[in-house]
Amino acid sequence: MRRTAASLLRHSGIGGGGGGGIPEALADALVCPLSKKPLRYCESSGSLVSDAVGVSFPIDDGIPCLVPKDGKLLDHDQDKSEDCGAKDSSHRQ
Amino acid sequence: MATGLAAAAAARRRLLLLPRHLLRESHLSFSAAPAEGLDVGDGGGGGGRVKIFDRDLKRRHRDRAAWAMGETDALADAVADNLLDRLEDCRKAFPSALCLGGSAGAVRRLLRGRGGIEKLIMMDMSADMVRKWREMDNATDDGLETHFVVGDEEYLPIKESSQDTIISCLGLHWTNDLPGAMIQCRLALKPDGLFLAAILGGETLKELRIACTIAQMEREGGISPRMSPLAQVRDAGNLLTRAGFTLPGVDVDRYTVKYNSALELVEHLRAMGETNALFQRNPILKKDTALATAAIYQTMFGLEDGTVPATFQVIYMTGWKEHPSQQKAKRRGSATVSFSDLQKQFGSNQN
Repeated sequence: MRRTAASLLRHSGIGGGGGGGIPEALADALVCPLSKKPLRYCESSGSLVSDAVGVSFPIDDGIPCLVPKDGKLLDHDQDKSEDCGAKDSSHRQ
Repeated sequence: MATGLAAAAAARRRLLLLPRHLLRESHLSFSAAPAEGLDVGDGGGGGGRVKIFDRDLKRRHRDRAAWAMGETDALADAVADNLLDRLEDCRKAFPSALCLGGSAGAVRRLLRGRGGIEKLIMMDMSADMVRKWREMDNATDDGLETHFVVGDEEYLPIKESSQDTIISCLGLHWTNDLPGAMIQCRLALKPDGLFLAAILGGETLKELRIACTIAQMEREGGISPRMSPLAQVRDAGNLLTRAGFTLPGVDVDRYTVKYNSALELVEHLRAMGETNALFQRNPILKKDTALATAAIYQTMFGLEDGTVPATFQVIYMTGWKEHPSQQKAKRRGSATVSFSDLQKQFGSNQN
């Protein structure tokens, strides 16, 4: 029961304003594993985006996956369009 | 076949000697040309990087270990307990902690409020392992705020100066670039933060090492590396200093675990995710050779009660991130009084 509640919380993003899909306390401590620059949460794809190297890292079941190999290279045009939606959160970081 | 061993030894030496400049180089490429940093991500390591361990294979090993491991593991528990004991030696509290790979599950279970940890981030390469820890964490209810991340120790995704302590229990001996990983840990620590690590040392599984060598020579006429090159105790101090930790401390503990047979030992290693992940490994192990190894193990090292002992040497490393409040030696040659004058001074005082 507790677990369900926790995962619900995680998915709804109540627990984490800053990180969206992940708790804020965790999002604050995470950076891009390659560039060590801040990550931005992209709501449309539900992933963490490192703008410095243009890679998006998936969040699987509320657990961010920041192994460089799991990152997906961002297409530049797609990146732009996603950028508009998530601009605010990038500034906050 | 001896060349295989020599190459492994040489590779280990390279591991210990090279990485600092490699790391610096990679930092440069990250900041100067982000696109180059990506190559590292895609290939899981740059072309020129020394690679000894197959990290992808290790990841799969740990996926398997996530379901193969038992509720408790006496060895992992003993090591984790010993490591956490060190937190109690510090008067400082460590509100935010990062726990890396290896037996982090045992660390989480045995933490019991030690070190004043309020927020714990648990990280591992294997998503299955992390999920398992999360289930475990949901079952325990001690009010500790725990977060989970899938990440690689070689590419630590943790913000600079954000953690009070970093604990790594039996995980770092699988990194290709141990000094590099430790430098990243130091960067992630707040000033006066504590780095605590336990790694397996060179004496580990020496019985199995010998048995494997003899059996392979006997059955296949040569040997292939079946065992990782491991850090020696004397390396550990150097590693800490090279990574820039202050007040380094190293101590060694040796555990002997008794098994009913050598096959049971291998079973245990599998459950811990500690099986061979060398790039140079021979992917084929003949049943014949495996059984011969077990037989040789039994005859050479078997005890009277029919069990076989296995040695695990664990090296504990403690280091602090630099802080002005820490005691340190004065610069060489900065003394203003000579020792002989000092003696004279004391002599005159006494008289």
